[in-house]
Amino acid sequence: MYTTKSLYRRANFDINQTICWKMLTDDQCEEIFVTAAEVLERTGAHIENKEAQKLFAANGCWVDGDVVKIPSSKLEWAVRTAPSRITLCNKSGKRAVLMETENSHFGPYYGSEMIVDRASGKQRKITVNDAIDTARLSESLENVSFVSAPGKPEGFRKETAGLYALEALILNSNKPIIQPVSNAKEAELAAEMAAAAVGGFDALRQNPYVVFTINCNEPRFHSEDSLGAVMYAAKNGIPFIYQNKLISGVTAPSATAGTLVVALANNLVALTLAQFVSEGAQVIAGGNFTIFDEKSGIAPFGAPEAGLIGAGFSNLMRYLRIPSAGIAGISDSNVSDAQLGAEFTYGILSSALAGTNLIGGGGALESGKVASSAALAMTDEVMGAIHRIMGTFDMNEDTLARGVIDEVGPGGNYLGEDHTTLFFKSEQFWPNLITRKRIDDWTADGAKPMGQRALEYVEDLLGQPSVELVNSTVAAEIKSILAKAEETL
Amino acid sequence: MANYEQLAMEVLKGKKKLVIATVNELLAAGEKPLDIINKGLIVGMSEVGVLFSQNKMFIPEVLMSAKAMEEGVNIVKPLLQVGDMQSAGTVLLATVQGDLHDIGKNLVGIMLESNGFTVINAGKDVSPEAIVTLAKEHKPDVIGMSAMLTTTMLMMKDTIELMKEEGIRDQIKVIIGGAPVSTDFSNEITADGFAPDALSAVGLCKRLLA
Ligand code: B12
Repeated sequence: MYTTKSLYRRANFDINQTICWKMLTDDQCEEIFVTAAEVLERTGAHIENKEAQKLFAANGCWVDGDVVKIPSSKLEWAVRTAPSRITLCNKSGKRAVLMETENSHFGPYYGSEMIVDRASGKQRKITVNDAIDTARLSESLENVSFVSAPGKPEGFRKETAGLYALEALILNSNKPIIQPVSNAKEAELAAEMAAAAVGGFDALRQNPYVVFTINCNEPRFHSEDSLGAVMYAAKNGIPFIYQNKLISGVTAPSATAGTLVVALANNLVALTLAQFVSEGAQVIAGGNFTIFDEKSGIAPFGAPEAGLIGAGFSNLMRYLRIPSAGIAGISDSNVSDAQLGAEFTYGILSSALAGTNLIGGGGALESGKVASSAALAMTDEVMGAIHRIMGTFDMNEDTLARGVIDEVGPGGNYLGEDHTTLFFKSEQFWPNLITRKRIDDWTADGAKPMGQRALEYVEDLLGQPSVELVNSTVAAEIKSILAKAEETL
Repeated sequence: MANYEQLAMEVLKGKKKLVIATVNELLAAGEKPLDIINKGLIVGMSEVGVLFSQNKMFIPEVLMSAKAMEEGVNIVKPLLQVGDMQSAGTVLLATVQGDLHDIGKNLVGIMLESNGFTVINAGKDVSPEAIVTLAKEHKPDVIGMSAMLTTTMLMMKDTIELMKEEGIRDQIKVIIGGAPVSTDFSNEITADGFAPDALSAVGLCKRLLA
């Protein structure tokens, strides 16, 4: 239709369908892998969990007290055995999050202690209502693919608080859930709750609706509880993230390459153990990284290095064909300001361009300590804009537009062309919170900065009547599991 | 069987070919040319105005609708009786001296025409003297000036002053538009009104001439 081209076919046409950003080459990734393998074979890791020690020993590893050394052949076997792709499903079983190749998916942060109260603007402790609000908000936000609670709600014992947050998520959202668990017993109860929501354990295994996140407490030190949870998840077919939280120069070498070696060594311990428990266990390598800010004594997760190290980690996992998880959308700022906008943007940009499969971290302030629903909405907008950049553009006879360029001629404009109406909507990002109003219109609208617009948007979404997403039988079953948790945990 | 509702919808969707076919069908069925304009084409275009102001339609789509409407009007126009269709008014449009931005101004012209106005488009980089000469010649009801540069917007003031000197300011309404100008600026230079976009420019002209 828009062609003025002669009839021919071009041969050997090379295209880039997406933006290409690869920080580490295969050779560099291999170098990190062999170094981590050497670390685990020579220095080993500290394994507190006796059952895990037995499994390592039974599978040809060297166990000396609490130190376990893993031969490289076992690591290589485990890396090959673990799946390269994990699909998460929403509550109804619909395939929703395809963690494979370099697909990235975005969602809220799950490790805050405080939250910004929407009414007062002040920080306060997280409550179960905040988990409900985050779930409902995440359900509406277009670029949020999974949900999690901002942190453990107050008003419960610390052993069970996370499970009450999980209940809030199940009841108020359909999107897949990322759920922190700290030990095998908690993992078991969380799995029971998720199974109740989807109609049993078989359904849960076939269409994974919940992913555990399990912290590796200290570098190459794997606690009783963490590995207990790992073994439970592997045995029961629940995908899990084994989460590194490394600070270069403190808990990892200050050189980025060395940090990646430590991170990989940590992940490989859990991954190998999981494969010993059950061949094919679904493991996601998690990496939350940053440096140490010597001036403030803070580990700043909004730092550019957080993005840099995370990008290297994702490249490494892509090389090893292991799904990856990282964090971005966290700011070191305490309020919604220009710093927050910058940190949100370069954090999410580097994670997404590196192909991190799960980017959890949306909407946190003060280096992650404080959650904010307005900030979550802002990160959703940033993610949308970045999706636009990553979507690049199609190139073909129509989009090259030589026909319409000829028709309009020099000095003309394209506003009234059929060709324009065909493409103008799909070729551009249509912002929701970002404003492009001229100053008169913006002033007439109340001269609101981004933070305030985001807050009002959130209020508006949460002000809609809530819909029931779970039937009463399931809700009651979940309640009874919680009652059991109160007795057993 | 073609009907007015369908014609209005085709204008709304900017479907040139369908508009031509429907107008011809309506004529063949014996419908009055003036009704085709008033009950079909203009109804569609008015809906476009509403959707545009609600951010549900955008300039490229509005232009497609205007073009579709124009195709319809072109078929019907020769069939109208003298005096059948009254012009809603005559508007002289110009981008002021020193300014080469004419896309927005031309859009205003297209929208005015599709709403029944007679438009004299004086082009771009038009001096106050040239505007006054054209005004004396064509006796428009409204002069619409466009400026996109902060450096050229003052030409609007000069033109109004010259109109006063030449004694034609009282007979002609003056409206202004373009990115750097505003209602405040319009008041400041004693123009009769400002409109932020082509469709509100139509509304503004209608109001001033009512
Ligand atoms: C296209 C364009 C050009 C094109 C113009 C082509 C043409 N034939 O018109 C070219 C490349 C030639 C150009 C040149 C320049 N441009 Co220029 N240009 C633009 C641009 C990108 C878009 C303007 C446009 O067409 N918008 C689309 C139309 C549909 O919108 P609109 O014009 O606003 O019109 C609507 C309303 O304003 C209203 N309206 C318009 N006229 C009227 C009249 C009446 C009576 C009424 C009621 C309503 C009305 O209705 C219209 C339809 O809804 C703007 C940036 C911008 N975002 O506006 C810069 C802009 C206007 N240009 C700018 C500049 C600086 C220049 C140059 C000086 C650059 C240079 N250094 O050479 C030159 C100046 C040339 C000259 N002497 O005029 C600046 C002006 C800054 C300022 N405030 O002074 C702008 C704002 C860009 C910027 N942000 O810096 N430009």
